[in-house]
Amino acid sequence: MAATALKEQLNGLVNSMFAEGLLDEQFQQLQMLQDGSNPGFVAEVVTLFCEDSERILADLTKLMDQAVVDYSKVDAYVHQLKGSSSSVGTQNVKLACIQFRQFCEENNQEGCMRALNVVKHEYYHLRSKFETMLQLENRIQAYETKQQN
Amino acid sequence: MAKVQQMPPSSVDTSSIYGGSSAKVREPIPKDFPVGMRVLVVDDDTICLRILERMLLECRYNVTTCNMAASALSILRESKGGFDVVISDVHMPDVDGLQLLELIGLEMDLPVIMMSADKRTSIVMQGIRHGACDYLIKPVRIEELKNIWQHVVRKKWQDNREAEHSDSFEDSDRRATNDAENNSSGNDATDNAIKSQKKRRDSKEDDEGELDNSDSSSKKPRVVWSVELHQQFVNAVYQLGINKAVPKRILDLMNVPGLTRENVASHLQKFRLYLKRLSVDQHHTGLPNSLSGVGSNAKVPFLGSLDFQPLTATGQIPPQTLASWQEELLGRPFGSFAMPAMDQPLLQQASMQGAKSVPVEHGIAFGQPLMKCPATMPTEFSQSNVAVRGLSSGFPTWSSSKVISASNLGGLSNDSNLQVPVLQQQQLHPVLSESHHAINVQPSCLVLPSQASNNFQERENPVLANQNSVVLPTQSSMSFQSGNNPTPMNQNSIIVPARSSTSMQADNNLGLTNQNSSLTSFQGGNNLGLINRNSITLPSQPLTSFQAGSSPAPISHSSSLKKSSRIVDYNLLSSNSSNVQLGEAQVSDEVFKNFTVLNSYSIPKSISSSVSSCTNVSMGWWAQTLGGNIGPVNQSCLMPSLSNIQGAGAMSQALPDQGQGKNLDLANLSNIRCGGTLSQILPDQGQGRSLGFIGKGTRIPSRFAVGDIESPTNGSSLNDNGEILNRGHLGFNGDV
Repeated sequence: MAATALKEQLNGLVNSMFAEGLLDEQFQQLQMLQDGSNPGFVAEVVTLFCEDSERILADLTKLMDQAVVDYSKVDAYVHQLKGSSSSVGTQNVKLACIQFRQFCEENNQEGCMRALNVVKHEYYHLRSKFETMLQLENRIQAYETKQQN
Repeated sequence: MAKVQQMPPSSVDTSSIYGGSSAKVREPIPKDFPVGMRVLVVDDDTICLRILERMLLECRYNVTTCNMAASALSILRESKGGFDVVISDVHMPDVDGLQLLELIGLEMDLPVIMMSADKRTSIVMQGIRHGACDYLIKPVRIEELKNIWQHVVRKKWQDNREAEHSDSFEDSDRRATNDAENNSSGNDATDNAIKSQKKRRDSKEDDEGELDNSDSSSKKPRVVWSVELHQQFVNAVYQLGINKAVPKRILDLMNVPGLTRENVASHLQKFRLYLKRLSVDQHHTGLPNSLSGVGSNAKVPFLGSLDFQPLTATGQIPPQTLASWQEELLGRPFGSFAMPAMDQPLLQQASMQGAKSVPVEHGIAFGQPLMKCPATMPTEFSQSNVAVRGLSSGFPTWSSSKVISASNLGGLSNDSNLQVPVLQQQQLHPVLSESHHAINVQPSCLVLPSQASNNFQERENPVLANQNSVVLPTQSSMSFQSGNNPTPMNQNSIIVPARSSTSMQADNNLGLTNQNSSLTSFQGGNNLGLINRNSITLPSQPLTSFQAGSSPAPISHSSSLKKSSRIVDYNLLSSNSSNVQLGEAQVSDEVFKNFTVLNSYSIPKSISSSVSSCTNVSMGWWAQTLGGNIGPVNQSCLMPSLSNIQGAGAMSQALPDQGQGKNLDLANLSNIRCGGTLSQILPDQGQGRSLGFIGKGTRIPSRFAVGDIESPTNGSSLNDNGEILNRGHLGFNGDV
């Protein structure tokens, strides 16, 4: 029972994320890849994504803080973040990255600063939802394992 | 030390896909393919890597992941034949994905799929140019991955076809039929395979001139279509009339003992296909006319499609021959220069940067392009396959013992260590017709004029050294040294007129070192990229020294030949699209343009006119020489096209001879790998000048951007010399 409720909650959360544009079809692909033999796949990917993104964002912040910004490096990082966010299906972050890259190409420092902030904002918003999601998943897992035992 | 491996006939039967002899023995495709297909994924992004891995496992493939290109390479090297396909990201911190692509193509000749979040057409184009067999845009969906096995199958087929074609024709025909029948997937790769096979001389199986191909049914001694033999054949065909030439009658006319009707039949078939292809390309050249006239056209095409068999034993060009050849080239209207369309598989591979394939492709895998330099050469050819007519007896032997056929680029990988570039003797079918001789220089052929001392040294390199035929005039000494380079070293043929000495050194380069050129000394040390050297043919003043220091990027040097002020040299490196740098083109007063891009070699002609066309991996353009010869050749693979243009407007490049000997017929070399394939066909305008490509030295660079294939404006006149070359058109396609 509790498990069902939890599952409903989880579905509701994920659906809302889709509706908001936080997630896109790519995330659905990941969900499909998770099955009995790979139960923690989504969680794994999400966790990896969060770690990676935070690292990149920290590096980006450092780069943007410099007096003379090396846009090629910045672009490289943003490109990377864009790649991973698109692979996970985190749409908003990806879109923000695309915008960021635009500014990079133009070597627009102010634009880049703003874009970086947008990316961060989107990311942190997403992260909090992911955290909830993972917690729910863990609890569901715990229930199901308990039930099996 | 090419390995000659013969596949027992039985194995041919069992696997239709893998039939044929090949230096690389491939295992037959497993029954439940594509399940269990071995994929190597390379991406620095851990997340993508994990997701891909999961997806590929879901497709039931066998997956290995790697997040660094360097480790991927070492994995691949350690387990040769252990993978079926590689998927690699384009943007990686340590090694550029494109470079990796070329390397893999060159060294291992595996299909490589690129992927990136970057979906700009230009980037995708680069990937294709460098030889990617597919390009996926991130985020990658599982449906796309489910289909990647087709690339494996297609490639195997193509390889088989090429192998077959390099073997005796009959066998290949037979095998082709078998393959076709057995091709259940029904993909139309077959057609492509045939085409690419034509274009790409992948004579992996031809090791050192040996035909070790086992045909499906029985082993037949391979017929080596030597220059003389081919000449006889062509004569017979013309005598009978191209439309009326039937194998039986040709055979009778040729009156060659030991030749069977089947040999002739298959040879004729190829010849016809080639002619057809030429005629299609040249709409305004009267092919038939040319056929009747010079017949060079015919030849040219033929050359393209012919597999060059390794040079004959001697592989030497006797001085006299060379001299006479030069004379021929210079004095006569040039026949078409046929550039065989070689697939440049290799080149591509070589993205050559390092050990293997050059980006390109250039692959740079080098498909061994056949280079044909039609030159009006005197008919006799000595044994050497180099279709350098006019060479009198025999060719100088190669000092180097090994010839690496360019075509083996892909196949070279079979030897991880090439001691010396092996000169593959390829049979050159001279396109000889009255007026023109085609010089086919096989990538691997090295024709050295007497007194040429070539020292090829390839030490410890798992690289494939492709040497395109080098035709050295007397007194040329070439020493190639490529030490410790894990990359294939391609040398485009260099035709050096007397007193040219070329020394190439490519040490420790991770990329592909291409040298086209004669008379230049290249030094490339520790370059990680592709070093392209364009060769410059200088008729008498050798010069050009390329030096590519430890550059991680492809370096192209263009050497300019200055010869009677008409030399413009372009270096166009297109192999590494990203890093191609155009070398300096020096334009001397006279315009002599040589462009050699990666694979291009120019045949220096003593007379300024010689123009060598270079095939470049990604772009090959040739400026023409004085004679208004243009020989652009563009090949992604290393297929240098030699075009010698003589002052008289000889054309080097296989151009259908319009009767003037100026034809530029550039076979298209498809490059699989390197760069894209550029096929250029220059129709002969019938004017003495054909332009292959023009570019002034300086212009060229701008014209050819890496990754861009621009067809030179049609026959733009050579500006430098103020000559207006008639150009046929160059059909360059930038597209792969």
